[in-house]
Amino acid sequence: MKIMVCLKQVPHQDARLDIDPGGTWIREGSIKFEINSYDTYALEEALQAKDGGGADVFAVSIGPDRCTQTLRTALGMGADRAIHVKDPEAEGSDALGIARILAAIAKQESPDLIFMGLMSDDANFAAVPPMLAELAGVPHTTAAVKIQRQERSLLVDREIEGGAHEVVELPLPCLVAVQTGINQVRYASLKGIMAAKKKPLEVKTVADLGLTGRVGAGAATVRIEKIAPPPKGDRAQILQGSTDQVVTGLLGKIKELGLL
Amino acid sequence: MGSILIVTETSDGKIREASHELASVAQRLAGPLGCTVQSLVMGSGAAPLAESFAKKGGGQVHLAEGEAFAHYNVDAVNAAVRAAVAVSQAELILFSNTPSGWDVAPRVAAGLDAGFVSDCFKLDVEGGKVVFHRRVFNGKLDATLRASSPVVVATVQPGASAAFAGTTEGSVTPLPVPLTGIRARFVEVKAAATRGVDLSKAEIIVSGGRGVGAPDKFPEVIEPLAQALGGAMGASRPVVDAGWLPHAYQVGSSGQTVQPKLYIACGISGAIQHLVGMKTSNYIIAINKDPDAPIFEVADLGVVADLFEIVPALTKAVRAAKGG
Repeated sequence: MKIMVCLKQVPHQDARLDIDPGGTWIREGSIKFEINSYDTYALEEALQAKDGGGADVFAVSIGPDRCTQTLRTALGMGADRAIHVKDPEAEGSDALGIARILAAIAKQESPDLIFMGLMSDDANFAAVPPMLAELAGVPHTTAAVKIQRQERSLLVDREIEGGAHEVVELPLPCLVAVQTGINQVRYASLKGIMAAKKKPLEVKTVADLGLTGRVGAGAATVRIEKIAPPPKGDRAQILQGSTDQVVTGLLGKIKELGLL
Repeated sequence: MGSILIVTETSDGKIREASHELASVAQRLAGPLGCTVQSLVMGSGAAPLAESFAKKGGGQVHLAEGEAFAHYNVDAVNAAVRAAVAVSQAELILFSNTPSGWDVAPRVAAGLDAGFVSDCFKLDVEGGKVVFHRRVFNGKLDATLRASSPVVVATVQPGASAAFAGTTEGSVTPLPVPLTGIRARFVEVKAAATRGVDLSKAEIIVSGGRGVGAPDKFPEVIEPLAQALGGAMGASRPVVDAGWLPHAYQVGSSGQTVQPKLYIACGISGAIQHLVGMKTSNYIIAINKDPDAPIFEVADLGVVADLFEIVPALTKAVRAAKGG
């Protein structure tokens, strides 16, 4: 059983979001990065399958030098090997470009399962997983909250409205995009981190994948024209002052609502 | 002439409200884009739904009828949409950003080499082209996007547009859909687990989010305020994901939707998935260290401060006021 896990490195959840001079993304210069939270759950799901016996897990990430850290963490947590697609030609790819890169790797590797997070914490597009499934020619589902492995298929509970679950069966090979909270993500042990240094971490370029001209900014058809803080408009009345003043104000409002 | 193709969803024998919202978006964009409006209705015994949607802004409705469409199936829907695109010269394909929509729409886009933009709260036409508006960074920033591909697929945020009101002329055409290559299999729907915690009846809810920081802070800080006010405790998704509280406490799109008289959100940033579960509360107070937290957009009253300073002090004051 070969499992491919796709990991995106994103700005830390509490990072300061300053708009870059071009106005089309945030300034990345001085912020911390982390693995996309949704993808950590996907990695954990793969590692649990590995714990159960007989699975080989490889992690893939696309991005500049700093993504090496993401892959080292994945290896430290227990992934067997990693592939880093590191190439300026891949920069500025839209979701379809990213899906093309991952599909090219899937074509080379023929995994039985592809796990990834439902969406990224930064762009929140939730676009790549179903796109990858289509390009890789495999069935898929999204927002998985429970995955059960059967002989040659998966039984997946996916989250639908109001917390209800829809159960779908997918034959292997298939792709599952997981929802947060599907499991409890493990920490890399010290032993794991040391062992990770010896695990294979392969670097590939866009040309290696036969995708010259098909990815990156030049090939992207979807572009962010502008990002900006939302208009202040109709926002909350903000209570100012010392803790005592604020508490008095809140108490007054609760009384006014007739709820005290 | 190209078209805007609306991909509808049905639920409980009716076209979903979100699909009627797509109709209003499509009807508004059609003129400026120089497109017709066409729709896809899928289901078993869905002919009456198709007829009715044709008169409610659906335009030319393509009906994919049959058992294969009785339940959502990603392969069946993908095939139906591709068939509808082929006969409708669709340039813009609209889905609702529902669990089914986000599941299949990107797959359709990849198959068509089409640009894809998800969870749009607004679509406009500028210079004859669509401009898409959505949030990024979990609701903290607004993004404006454009797509240059000949065909574009977009999902629209449910509830962000009004449902189409009025009557239109339309037609219904049967759509043959090739159903070879169906691999996913619908098994069943499991209703949400019966809750130990019913927040729907609570008049006052005090909810904690990731900002509460640790599981023991819920019984230590959040619960006392809820109790002092005679209300119930709730939580946002990250709290439940982290295992700090059971799912029964979750307020949001995949938890409970609540409408209390008073909702106090502590350390909750206000991602859309949480907001949809509580924004119709009668009065919302938000306490968060981050002045730019999206929760302040739905709150009536806001406190930009450390919840560990405010909440215990408020609890004390409430108890004193109640003579306790």
